[in-house]
Amino acid sequence: MAVAESDFSLASRRRPRWSRHRVASAASPYGLLAPALVVLGVVLGYPLYLIARLSFEKYGLFELIRHKGRWIGLDNYTAIIHDSQFWHVLLRTVGFTAVNVSLTMVLGTAIALLLVRVSTVVRYMLTAALVFVWATPVVVAVDVWRWLVDPQFGLANWLLTKLHVGNFVHHDWFVNPWSGFGVITAVVVWGAIPFVAITVFAGLSQVPAELIEAAQIDGARAWNVFREVTLPLLKPIFVILVSLSIIWDFQVFNQIWIMLDQRPSADYYLMSVYSFVESFRISEYGLGSAIAVVMVLIMFGFTFVYVRQMVKAGEVR
Amino acid sequence: MKVRFLVVAIFAAALAVAATTASGGTKRAQADKIVVWLQDDAKNGWPDAVAAATKSFQAKHPGVDVDVQYQQWTTHLTKLDAAIAGNNAPDVVEMGNTETTKYMAAGAFAPLQAKSFPNSKNWLSGLKSSCTFGGKLLCVPYYTGARAVIYRKDYYSAAGIKGTPTTLDKFVADGKKLMKKYGKDRNFSAFYFPGKNWYASMAFVYDYGGQIAVKKGGKWKGTLNSPQAIRALTKLKSVVHSLSRAPLTVDEAHPYPSIPFAKGSVASFVGNGWEWPYTLDPKVGNPDLAPVMAAYPMPSHIKGRYMPTFLGGSDLAVPVTSSKKSLAVDWIAAFTASANMRSIAKAGNIPNATNLVGFTKGNPKVEPFAKAAKYSWFIPKSPNWANVENANVLQDMCSQILSGRKSVTAATTTASNAITRILNTGS
Repeated sequence: MAVAESDFSLASRRRPRWSRHRVASAASPYGLLAPALVVLGVVLGYPLYLIARLSFEKYGLFELIRHKGRWIGLDNYTAIIHDSQFWHVLLRTVGFTAVNVSLTMVLGTAIALLLVRVSTVVRYMLTAALVFVWATPVVVAVDVWRWLVDPQFGLANWLLTKLHVGNFVHHDWFVNPWSGFGVITAVVVWGAIPFVAITVFAGLSQVPAELIEAAQIDGARAWNVFREVTLPLLKPIFVILVSLSIIWDFQVFNQIWIMLDQRPSADYYLMSVYSFVESFRISEYGLGSAIAVVMVLIMFGFTFVYVRQMVKAGEVR
Repeated sequence: MKVRFLVVAIFAAALAVAATTASGGTKRAQADKIVVWLQDDAKNGWPDAVAAATKSFQAKHPGVDVDVQYQQWTTHLTKLDAAIAGNNAPDVVEMGNTETTKYMAAGAFAPLQAKSFPNSKNWLSGLKSSCTFGGKLLCVPYYTGARAVIYRKDYYSAAGIKGTPTTLDKFVADGKKLMKKYGKDRNFSAFYFPGKNWYASMAFVYDYGGQIAVKKGGKWKGTLNSPQAIRALTKLKSVVHSLSRAPLTVDEAHPYPSIPFAKGSVASFVGNGWEWPYTLDPKVGNPDLAPVMAAYPMPSHIKGRYMPTFLGGSDLAVPVTSSKKSLAVDWIAAFTASANMRSIAKAGNIPNATNLVGFTKGNPKVEPFAKAAKYSWFIPKSPNWANVENANVLQDMCSQILSGRKSVTAATTTASNAITRILNTGS
């Protein structure tokens, strides 16, 4: 970088003033970016500004009706930090995200590796199945899963009982939050696998066959080939997939909200549900916004690390 | 390097924000139209009254459209808040009588004149008080309803039960007879009781002398961990364990108990008056059950009394944001006319005024419910009460107790503390 800078200073000394042509060509990328930035500013920037402002205000039902909040500084944030429920929910959300992202990545990659090995017909069938899962709207998927685990008429209970796994007659999966979250994890991971599997499969097709052959000739086993050859080559793809999965799983809402009849008990609160309940159920919009802002900041932390890694990876190659 | 850092930061921020923000949009109302939000109950139970109200309203205001939009209890307040924020609130809104206080205290409803509405001199005092705040009338009583046990006469007599039970012990003994007779069907419940049915659970609490909360010296205190309430909920747990196979993590509207009842796997359930005709609706129920259905008030553990029933009900309000308040008032007046009250009563409800009680006399489908209303309980009257409901405090407590996830003492202590905290917020 130091070298590049001195080059630049030499060049500028030689030509002290920028020609009109150079200014135009320097500005044109920004001109091209401008429409997208304006759209982002309107659909993301403005709501973000509003939510940030709300988080510093007392904004309950009384204020809602008058369309005017009352500035209370950091009171909402202090309230959150001193609320033990917030910490429980945060911990639960982080754990939930870790489990879901790991499962999604492992299973998705496994399916991608399988896709490489199977015959063309099976590959088409598998891909079609993946695309169908992908195309299923969340609301429909959640309803289907809910019927599968319905205490009275669910297939899961019937099957587990028939298979003599235990007596699952009238077993309610949501009484115990661990098994309840098991079902929710299944729904989330099931829905997230296709994207990972298809993307990794696309990446795998770009891994040069001769590299793998060479490793095999050197006596590397399948696992070693995957670890030493495939994984490093696909690292940029994995970094993107993991960061996107973290973002998606950290803010899971619909799966819980619909699965539990829009009245999840406190044991099932994740950050997004908690924020929604504080805002819309309790009508404390300022407090709810503060939770949302904290959530954005945490996500910002995650994504910053990953995006930086992504950019670094680009530098190396 | 700095520029790169900035780009990374902006990209990361954009990703994070894209993932956490959402938006929605709604249409603006036209000038010659009023928007009315009623609950699903009207659609299921008395659509004829709604149609008649709109017809007589339009006779007075030709050319004004009435757009009736049906809402669900679980989501309607969320939607109402969003609509108020977006300057798009309805002109008439139905509110549960437990929900009005919070909105009246926040100044959400326009003041009304009682004389604009029929039968206003004889409005039921309970409903009228749920519409009065700071001495002003802010909504209009709509209807009230009590809950009673809706049951299958044929199942009862086949199990050798004579008459209907008059004490809680007899009720349990009869239920056990039913379980013995039909319990081989593993979906059968003698007394179908979803785990989050807090209205019916609190009936036990009040029957045993307990209360949800009491106000002392200007401060609320949750009292569900009192010895009386703990005794009541322990009793409830044993009743539900021996007589019900309903899911323990759902409430009494998901599904309505009338749905498994119509399928024949339920001998009785605690229901609102309108759930009887709803059971017979060919679209969601079974009309063939008409001759074998009946109802009786839930018996108390004290002989000769009924278990106190929750006196639920609805009111109709005009949001302050409405620009068509006088049209809204006229529609409410048309809707609460005596003739429509007759249809509403016929569907199993108690009409909004004392001079109309005759509508329920001699109607076997309403009389048991009117009888049950003799003993009743109501929620603590605090502007914060709706938040207790919306935070699912009581639903969660009931579900935890009935499913055995927590002991009665632990669950009631958690709930009482939450109630104390929520009711005293901001006071």
